[in-house]
Amino acid sequence: MNPEELQNLAREAQSRLESLQTPAQLEEFRIAYLGRKGKVTCLFEALKTAPSEERRTLGQKLNELKNSLEEKLKGRQSGLSASGGREKEFLDPTLPGIRPASGRIHPLTQTIRRITGIFERLGFEVAEGPEIETEFYNFTALNIPLDHPSRDAFATFYTQVDSPRESPFLLRSQTSTVQIRVMQKRKPPLRIIAPGRVYRPDRVDASHAFMFHQIEGLMVDERTTFSELKGVLHLFLRQLLGPETKIRFRPHFFPFTEPSAEVDVNCFLCDGRGCSVCGGKGWLELLGAGSVDPAVFEQVGYDPKRVQGFAFGLGVERIAMLMHGISDIRMFLENDLRFLRQF
Amino acid sequence: MKISTNWLKDFVTLAPPLERIAEKLTLAGLEVKRIEPRPEWKDTVFEVEITTNRPDWLSHLGVAREIHAIENTGLKLPSVETVPDRLPPSGWKLDLKEAEGCPYYTACLLEGVQNGPTPDGMQNRLAACGLRSINLVVDITNYVLLETGQPLHAFDADLVRGREVIVRRAKSQEVLAALDGKRYELSSGDLVIADHDRAIALAGVMGGQETEVSVRTRNLLLESAFFDPRWVRKTSIRVGLSSESSYRFERRVDPEGVDFGRERAVTLFRELAGVRRVSHVLKAGRKPTPSKLKIHLSLAEVEKILGVAMKPHQVHSVLARLGLEPRNENPENWVVTIPSYRADLERSVDLVEEVARVSGYDKIPETLPERPPVEVHPSPIRDLEERTRDFLAGAGFFETVTSSLINPVSFERAGFELKDTVRIHNPIHEELTLLRPSFLASLAEVLAGNERAGERSAAIFEIASLYRRKSKTEAPEEEKSLGLLASGERRTGWKGPHRNLDYYDLKGVLESYFEILGIKGSAFSPQPFSFLEGSARICVGKEAVGFLGVVAPSVTSEWDLRGRAAFAEISLARLVRLLPSEKKFEALPRFPAAERDLSLVVAEGLQIGEILEEIKRLGRGQVRNVELFDLFRGGRVPKGQKGVAFRMTYQSLERTLLSEEVQLLHETVAREVSEKFGASFQNIK
Repeated sequence: MNPEELQNLAREAQSRLESLQTPAQLEEFRIAYLGRKGKVTCLFEALKTAPSEERRTLGQKLNELKNSLEEKLKGRQSGLSASGGREKEFLDPTLPGIRPASGRIHPLTQTIRRITGIFERLGFEVAEGPEIETEFYNFTALNIPLDHPSRDAFATFYTQVDSPRESPFLLRSQTSTVQIRVMQKRKPPLRIIAPGRVYRPDRVDASHAFMFHQIEGLMVDERTTFSELKGVLHLFLRQLLGPETKIRFRPHFFPFTEPSAEVDVNCFLCDGRGCSVCGGKGWLELLGAGSVDPAVFEQVGYDPKRVQGFAFGLGVERIAMLMHGISDIRMFLENDLRFLRQF
Repeated sequence: MKISTNWLKDFVTLAPPLERIAEKLTLAGLEVKRIEPRPEWKDTVFEVEITTNRPDWLSHLGVAREIHAIENTGLKLPSVETVPDRLPPSGWKLDLKEAEGCPYYTACLLEGVQNGPTPDGMQNRLAACGLRSINLVVDITNYVLLETGQPLHAFDADLVRGREVIVRRAKSQEVLAALDGKRYELSSGDLVIADHDRAIALAGVMGGQETEVSVRTRNLLLESAFFDPRWVRKTSIRVGLSSESSYRFERRVDPEGVDFGRERAVTLFRELAGVRRVSHVLKAGRKPTPSKLKIHLSLAEVEKILGVAMKPHQVHSVLARLGLEPRNENPENWVVTIPSYRADLERSVDLVEEVARVSGYDKIPETLPERPPVEVHPSPIRDLEERTRDFLAGAGFFETVTSSLINPVSFERAGFELKDTVRIHNPIHEELTLLRPSFLASLAEVLAGNERAGERSAAIFEIASLYRRKSKTEAPEEEKSLGLLASGERRTGWKGPHRNLDYYDLKGVLESYFEILGIKGSAFSPQPFSFLEGSARICVGKEAVGFLGVVAPSVTSEWDLRGRAAFAEISLARLVRLLPSEKKFEALPRFPAAERDLSLVVAEGLQIGEILEEIKRLGRGQVRNVELFDLFRGGRVPKGQKGVAFRMTYQSLERTLLSEEVQLLHETVAREVSEKFGASFQNIK
């Protein structure tokens, strides 16, 4: 026996001990090293034959090894019994996890939440109104004459009636109806944002549906200017699309606003250089907006000399399509799970 | 509408490049959608989109006026030659019988016309605007329409019977063979131009074949009129016929343009068609704008609406360029005179828009409102909708958005009874006529589509309104509701085993949902539904809030579903009224709990809910919880019976229950439950 032999044994025992997993394996180890015929015990025998000048130091080291192994063994044994003493399973970290069922919120709802969320932070309040409406709310109160071509933009579904004496209801073709309902019920100041379903008997294709979603906004108080409309909508669009978003107000015509505008943003798909999505123009039309027409205030019993307001409207599908790169509006109503899972 | 830029150059100077002009027009609200170079006609065409409020832009002259307003280039009008010595239209009579439908009618007789080919220059311009050359007479009327915006009609005067022109309502069942080759049956709401015997034109919409001009035509009766926009629109919609003329009449033509357009045409007929003899004009009625409208505008109003400071001369200059003849009352107040072609300008706010539009919306700075906070009105139903969405998505359900309009036929075949439903009078698809009273059809269709796409399971929901008809005068009811459908495998990955989602999975979801909302006392009691097989009514306290069940085979076969889906519907409108205002904290139990199990074998048909209630009742407040932890059949359980195992938690809120006490109570409960339900009572632990 020599010091090297002792050192090798110490190293071997140490590393084996660390790899052991079960109480049975620990017991085996105890027998193999510390038992009556164990390797360490045997060395004590061999010590007797060692040269006497080394015997003392070797004996000391051997004792140290024995004590340290006994101590570590005890440590491992108590460690294993604390974990229930069961055999430790082999854990495969690469095995696929067991996923809980996870659902999704529809991308249209997510878009509505994003948009209304921004306006709620700006002090607007979410309002809703019925989908089945009368001609008054859908047309008359919004200054759209029933027999004027401006109505053509708002083709409308009507409900069936049993006799010609009954007046039919209609499915609202725009969420601007909510403006009227809210103004009839409340007095200014008003800041509302109204998301909802709207219906138009349009031919269905990749960019038209007969049912879609709009969000209408309205702010009314003593002095709400066109300049503020520009400020609020630009702030909103920067929050929705990013701080670099540029906007352009283009004069347009809506019967219920004066002055009226269509609001374009610089095409974020081509950076304004012109692409197929923006039709080479570099601008994307996103909203309709304007100062509330005095005729609308008169319809709801507000004095147009005392109140001023702005209103705007946007199509939820269009914004969701642009933001997510969806090219066919029909995907939203199909509800293919492979589509929904992506949002 | 297509605008020839060559043609525009007759009236205004177009400083190149044309792209710049197009951009300026677009930013003034006259949107140029496309710029098309047409070298074959040595022209460049603007494709413009014109809003319904600006019929005055529906002509080259109108667009030229706008270019003058934004560019200040000066405006030259088309030449109209006035020949004083015209002849009387011998023997011709004009009779205006319907002045509401036609406030102003004029016509004149042109003799000795040589109808032949049209000069190339005119043909090219018509072609650039998308019109095919027909013959010189027709081409001149079209040319004047595109140039001035005034629709004209030329009759072959020799084919007009009795030298008589009558403007009247159509007789019922009167028929007109129009220039498009179709026969239109008219009604008394339609306005026609007639001769002594018959209708010869549908006023403002289209002329008739019987008086159509041809190469043989020698004498013309040239009509220029102002037809009432509503009358023309009504007839155009009713007979389903729209023309360049009706499009403009519907939007209102310029009353002054009636005479101007006619005289412009006369000039061209003299110049190009060899006409020498032109009659006096036959006139009836009055132009609808006898006196010119005057509107006051103040700088203060402009600034108040736009929110920007403006210089008085800026405002003045815009108004002047628009031809509104601003007259200063003082330096910051104007009276403007509205020209006859701008019927859209009625109020000062309309002028404010003109000022903003022509000076450029981009000149108006952006500001943010500084306002005090306003009171916010709570919307409990909306809050509930959002909480429901979040809960269900977290519970593994996919939100769907489907059409509110459904096919009533397949809905009925699936077993749904249609009563008090709302139908659509003018559906876009023949099938989609019903405003849905339930989510069943919509969700079944989504499931079917996904199954076809290879999905092995689907757990889906939708939140929207369901519709029900009320009385004849009231608006139909819209009830915010939640629909849920679950079908297919409940997947556990490689750990398996998979099993199918069923009634109990959906019920569990609803139980958790109610718990999270803090809704107590929900009960599921058996109730049949025609489209479900195995179903329950869901009540909270006494109020019915919805139902739950497994779809009937009629549903499975109607939508060709793979399995038996579980379906539920909850009225959120009702549920929201049952929500606790705030959840109230209950002190946690301070005393130890003891668990005891009870296994029974009971008749198959016995409802477990009854046993659960009985156990609670017998526990006299000491049973804090009863859980059904096993339900088994077969083995030692005889046929027609089922084994059930409950775990009861005994706990008092006031004191520690002694072990003997718990044992005694448990034995009593066990014995009485067994007796009451005829159960063989297996063991007591």
